[in-house]
Amino acid sequence: MGVAVKAVDFVKRFGSTVAVDGLNLEVYEGEIFGLLGPNGSGKSTTLLTIATVYKPTSGDIFVFGHSVSREGDEVRKHVGIAFQEPKAMWVDTPYELLLWHARVVGYSSSEAKVVVKEVMERLGLWEHRKKQFYQLSGGTRKKLEIAKVMIQRPKLAILDEPTAQVDVITKHALWDVVREMRSSGSTVIVATNDMFEAEKICERIAIMYKGKLRALGTVRELKDQIPGGDVVEISFEGSRELVEKVLGGLGGVSKHVVDDGRLVAYMNKGEEMAAEIVNALTGYGIKVKRIMVQEPTLDDVFFYFTGARLGEEQ
Amino acid sequence: MSLPRDLEALLLLVRWDLMRMWRRKIFVVMRVVWFAVQVTVFGLALSAMVRFRGVIAQGIDYYHFYLLGVYTSMLFSISVSNAYEVAEEFEEGIIEYHLSLPIKRSVLTVGRSIGGGLAAFLFTLPMYAMVLALMGGGPPLAVVASLGAALVFSVGVVGLVLSIVLSVKSGDATDILFGLIDAIIIRLSTVFYPSVVLARYAPYYYAALANPISHFVDFARTLFFFEEYRALALADPLLMISYLLGFAAGLVSAAIYVVERKLEGGGWR
Repeated sequence: MGVAVKAVDFVKRFGSTVAVDGLNLEVYEGEIFGLLGPNGSGKSTTLLTIATVYKPTSGDIFVFGHSVSREGDEVRKHVGIAFQEPKAMWVDTPYELLLWHARVVGYSSSEAKVVVKEVMERLGLWEHRKKQFYQLSGGTRKKLEIAKVMIQRPKLAILDEPTAQVDVITKHALWDVVREMRSSGSTVIVATNDMFEAEKICERIAIMYKGKLRALGTVRELKDQIPGGDVVEISFEGSRELVEKVLGGLGGVSKHVVDDGRLVAYMNKGEEMAAEIVNALTGYGIKVKRIMVQEPTLDDVFFYFTGARLGEEQ
Repeated sequence: MSLPRDLEALLLLVRWDLMRMWRRKIFVVMRVVWFAVQVTVFGLALSAMVRFRGVIAQGIDYYHFYLLGVYTSMLFSISVSNAYEVAEEFEEGIIEYHLSLPIKRSVLTVGRSIGGGLAAFLFTLPMYAMVLALMGGGPPLAVVASLGAALVFSVGVVGLVLSIVLSVKSGDATDILFGLIDAIIIRLSTVFYPSVVLARYAPYYYAALANPISHFVDFARTLFFFEEYRALALADPLLMISYLLGFAAGLVSAAIYVVERKLEGGGWR
């Protein structure tokens, strides 16, 4: 799998404020990569540097092998960004703005009209095409930003909090759009402070907090890094002492509690371990009535790696 | 055959500024109406006063002098007003959007300079036509050359505007700086006072001599009224147009330097 983005000791300071502090990560071609963190964690600074809007203070970021510091022109050929705050003047109309954008990203005049109409219809923007920007709702403005990236079809699509402040229906529609971007060949980086969104659409996630990378991996890998993160709850019929004995003979269980007919055990890789526990219990003649495996939420993962709850940090 | 990518991008950036100007057409109409009042009522009154006091030598029509002066001051002011628009664009994040587009920084700067200059030029075109009519017309060559010089001049001014606004990155600083530039630079020029009058005050004269506005306005006057004004003009017409070309090229290059080397998003105060 090729590398789309590679950050090497990337540091960005604004005066005395360190926005990003020594970031090292790789985003692979063709994946949906999530940057998860609260406001001020350095997500947007990182994305804007990838899009060459900011310059690194030190270190560098490479986009398809091109340095954002030294080869900005080359980088911009491959990158399209939907900003967190939609960018338009209050008098702009969506159609004019997107038509201009389409021409700038390389469509001919006739092609631009076709693709803009197609994308606007896909996002439900067509009916708003003649309105002025200030007349558009927050969700429609967000869609306008996403439309720019859809029109551009870049190799690397950057979406900075694409669903912040949008309603649930629009949110689901935009998630579909993100998946479509990936299916049509783009690598997608999504910055978000929404755990559910990260879990729902991202294949790998980087957790950023106070300018530093705190964790990186698939959702599963991140969850598995929490010691005793999974909870297996088993209802049984049989001797409590026997259950204690069986559990004592199994490795991989960090902690367990057994009371009347109920076993609660904490461990990693709960789904695999649950089967092992059930086999061991039934081997000793204990009847298993019900099994429930609960995995930690991404919120727990964030808490584990940062010591902060995301909701409290916004 | 399609245009080379950079040229196409440049033309689209020019279009960006023209679209922006088109949205302000009501404002343009208001300024043109005000200009009409200025060049007829106030201009004629001022010229009568100058004639009465004998400030200008015999055989010279101050009204002609004034007409091209007031057009130049308007062209300069409108070009400078780009500063406030660029500042607004920065506040609204448009500059960041432009920086993220697949366009070379040099093309972005030249496109915005030409676009801003062309928008100011087109904005003031009705005023130019009014001045031309009040002067009783002029040789076609003079018209074409003066229009060309006006475009070069306004592109240079927009280059200056971009360099400063994108360096200071502050709405307040932009307001103060360009308010001052607009007020002072016009006065330190030959827009309203001939160089022979300014020559009595050395600092004033040398300031006017270095001022590109003086070179543009005196070049235009020389084109239309060579015999009348050649003794009053700041310099030889070829020197003046060369100065203007150097001014525009220099300031657009400075803007390219600022955008390529210094500019990044954020940090607007």
